[in-house]
Amino acid sequence: MARRRGLIISDEQMRLVDGVLAKLQRVSGSKFVALVSTSGQPITTSPPGVQSDTLSLAALAAGSFAATRQLAEVLNEREFTLLFHEGKESNLHVVQVTDQILLLIAFGRETQVGRVRLYTSRALEVLKPIFEPAEDNAGNNDMVIDREYSREAGAAIDGLFPERTD
Amino acid sequence: MALINLAAREINYKIVYYGCGLCGKTTNIQHIHRRVNPAARGRLVSIATEEERTLYFDFLPLSLGAVKGLRTRFHLYTVPGQSFYNASRKLVLQGVDGIVFVVDSQVSRLDENVDSYLNLWDNLASQGEDLSKLGVILQMNKRDLGSIFSVSDLSELLNHTDSPVVEACALTGVGVFETLKTACKQVIAKSAHS
Repeated sequence: MARRRGLIISDEQMRLVDGVLAKLQRVSGSKFVALVSTSGQPITTSPPGVQSDTLSLAALAAGSFAATRQLAEVLNEREFTLLFHEGKESNLHVVQVTDQILLLIAFGRETQVGRVRLYTSRALEVLKPIFEPAEDNAGNNDMVIDREYSREAGAAIDGLFPERTD
Repeated sequence: MALINLAAREINYKIVYYGCGLCGKTTNIQHIHRRVNPAARGRLVSIATEEERTLYFDFLPLSLGAVKGLRTRFHLYTVPGQSFYNASRKLVLQGVDGIVFVVDSQVSRLDENVDSYLNLWDNLASQGEDLSKLGVILQMNKRDLGSIFSVSDLSELLNHTDSPVVEACALTGVGVFETLKTACKQVIAKSAHS
């Protein structure tokens, strides 16, 4: 299993990614597309804000995909690289971009699965190289999480959580 | 290390509540969900069996608001405690920043606590992780019950990382937020030095 690494996504990377996702969403005819981390955290969606509960979506999709990979192992399959949920009104297609990133595509009955898969595979070819530097640079977070951030976060934590619990 | 999205000005930390079956992991999360400011929390997601035992995980996102212009979130997860769900536990540990190890203080649960602790080390090692490099808190739970071990005895057995220890009774909420505060501060401190 891959060693744990962090992930820092820059403005430039996100600009490129948002462009790819917007195009994928348009040409594939999907309702929305989203990027999430394999640890269950949301990164971005297109169109922005279309899905109100992205936090639950990211956690559940990542969990579901991780379970699928373990299923592959149990069945002695090298890997299942995609996951497909078919519903009455909508479908969800989940595919791995990198070790740490998943792409989610939600689409309705009016869109063909083949069309989604075709455009998704093309989008993956563009997305993968964008994220390679993000994973390589993950250790360089000193400028973001510094002493001042830690101090301010500590004060915010004290303010958010109640003292009395009974 | 946390997921940092500079474009969206966001930092996300993942904290996992670990421990043996029925030690109180889900009870912690449920209490936090009930008592924290509703504006600061997302939906509590639980994947449980019909008997309400955790099958896969519980998930609760908490928002700290903007810190130095960065929207900071903590994603709280529990793992299923029962021994046969180890595959699920491994999955939930992926990308973890901090661990709250919940100890059932009852004398009768000693073996289960030790097994779960060893299982945590094994699962992290299989992912190339080292418990001593993560933010770790030990929560000594069920301190209100009779026939329990002392905190020092439990620490000797289960605190090889010299981590902070919090006494708790998750059912009534005692120690729940103290544990959470300590865990949140610790993951930030650890990530600053990663």
